[in-house]
Amino acid sequence: MGTYFGSLLTVFQPMNLLLLYFCSLVGVVLGAIPGLSGGLGITLILPLTFALSSDLSFCMLLGMYVGGISGSFIAAVLVGIPGSAASIATCFDGYPMTQKGQASKALSIGITGSFIGTFISIIVATICSGAIADLALKLGPWEYFSLCFMAVSLVVGLSNGSLYKGMIGAFLGLWLSTIGIDMITNQMRFTFNNYNLFGGINVVCLLMGTFALQQVASSFASGEEEMPEVNARNLKGFGLKAKDFIDNAKTIIVSLLIGLWIGFLPGMGAGVSNMISYGQAKKMSKHPEKFGKGAEEGVWASEVANNAGIGGALIPMMSLGIPGDGTCVLLLSAMTIHGLQPGPMFITTNPHLSYLIFAAVLVSAVLVFVTSIYTKRWFPMLLKAPYHYLYSAILMICFLGAFSSTTSMFGVWMVIVFGAFGILMDYFKIPMSPLMLSYILGQQIENYFRMGCSYAKGDITRFVTRPISLVFLLIGIYGLLGPAVKHVVRNRRTEAKG
Amino acid sequence: MHKVNRTYVMGIVCLILSGWILWQANKIPEMLVSHEPGPRLFPIISAIGIAFFTVLSMIKDGPKEAKENTRPYLDKGGMKRLLQIFGVSVLFVLSMQFLGFWITSMAGTFGFVWLLKGDKKINITYAVVICVLLGSICYFGFTRGFNIPLPKGVLWEKLGIAVL
Repeated sequence: MGTYFGSLLTVFQPMNLLLLYFCSLVGVVLGAIPGLSGGLGITLILPLTFALSSDLSFCMLLGMYVGGISGSFIAAVLVGIPGSAASIATCFDGYPMTQKGQASKALSIGITGSFIGTFISIIVATICSGAIADLALKLGPWEYFSLCFMAVSLVVGLSNGSLYKGMIGAFLGLWLSTIGIDMITNQMRFTFNNYNLFGGINVVCLLMGTFALQQVASSFASGEEEMPEVNARNLKGFGLKAKDFIDNAKTIIVSLLIGLWIGFLPGMGAGVSNMISYGQAKKMSKHPEKFGKGAEEGVWASEVANNAGIGGALIPMMSLGIPGDGTCVLLLSAMTIHGLQPGPMFITTNPHLSYLIFAAVLVSAVLVFVTSIYTKRWFPMLLKAPYHYLYSAILMICFLGAFSSTTSMFGVWMVIVFGAFGILMDYFKIPMSPLMLSYILGQQIENYFRMGCSYAKGDITRFVTRPISLVFLLIGIYGLLGPAVKHVVRNRRTEAKG
Repeated sequence: MHKVNRTYVMGIVCLILSGWILWQANKIPEMLVSHEPGPRLFPIISAIGIAFFTVLSMIKDGPKEAKENTRPYLDKGGMKRLLQIFGVSVLFVLSMQFLGFWITSMAGTFGFVWLLKGDKKINITYAVVICVLLGSICYFGFTRGFNIPLPKGVLWEKLGIAVL
């Protein structure tokens, strides 16, 4: 408890608080603008954090994370276009509310729902992560290998499109992670004697290329940067009464639990939780016929669940070193960039920073909530931000970031190469999330596998004879095959009926 | 126009890639350390995994895609815009190398603004001010504020001209 309050006080140091607040607001703006996201913001500020202390860096990164998810409902409510996948379900009822002249109330539900989701989930994460990490310390390399395998396979199983293409993405990521000097035998792999590749592919260059450059280039190429007119009037005031909370208490609690659980599962972030929670709210509702026509419960469900995913996703990241969602992949990269070793030992060896991460999310949630309530009337202005300036700044920062993280022009060229690679992946419909997760976890997967073999004197059956390892492997296999089997069964049933 | 089946194109590319990975992986010197499988194993697993799922995707997804009436990835205009943005990005990086970051950040960002604005009209003075401010803040913020060196430009170094 003492460590937690110490970390909380660190967050309240003027510079930490100021930059946490600033990044939270930038995150809200990026989250609000369709096509941009808090994840993009994290990618862009990653190189900037090299020169900063870990405390300040994580305050900035987490502010961006919370702001990005919290702001994504703005466009969903005002123009019916989700700021990110986290708010797809918010469009279903948020936008109809705006069309009925209830934009103010819909925005207030979004702001409050986001706050409740983040605030409660981060308290749960703070309490649970330590306990899970303690349990995880009892695991060996066999269990860690199986855990990483499970994380990648769950992401593949749940990624959009073809399962086979998801697997291709995962193996591509695994191969990319093998580039560089092998840590165990010191052998060069795929480096072609280029010293820029000895340390492997720089994660910042990969992220800048496949995430930022690809996003800007494909958005510009497909001409998607135009926004429809915003229909918003009377955006003043809080707009919610105690009755609104009481009437929707059940939806809020259930959505919170769904968001937490889905956030906890590797690879299933806010993009999935808001949809499942919305569906559940509709099932539970006394008036399901109102859903899709401006039902307040729909907005509550989606917004509480997507933000509850923040706490949920931080639990496996902090306690096991496994990212709960795509943005946590970036946060894990930030940890490695700062010389930290994510995993079950992280909380024990870095208690101050661990609790600072939880405290920063908590403070950011409060700051975003208070600011959003008072600045709600200006939200439509965010959606009028000129894309040509935004995108130009993003591209310039991409190249700047790549250079500062590698201090060589090779890294800058790599951004262009990975930008083209990202476009190619998009063209072939190979999902990027399995590739990124498998790249981030690739080295761990390989090291744990090789350590496991070495400790067991070459006996690979140890991976299936240890019960916890076997459970993780089975969940992983189910994660891969489950959706495919369900799809086949559903198709056969449809054919039989037809 | 004949429709390109993206899954088959992907299949050919991925099979070539996996073959190349296998070939390169076999060149890695095998140094076994106490019962561990060695540095070749994971590249080989990756190559086999890519090849295996590529073949499955070609068998399962390929015919499905051929039947579907999928939209082309980009129309002619879109393809032109894509090439333009990558072209300007390449020029930006070349300029960063030869003219240094400070000049490039201002001129290059203006180039991006000019390209990305499309048919929209912009206030040129305003755009120039924004680009100069943004470039200068980034350059001096990194070099002076964080002590992170940024490229000064090969050209100026060769000419012996000191740039900030």
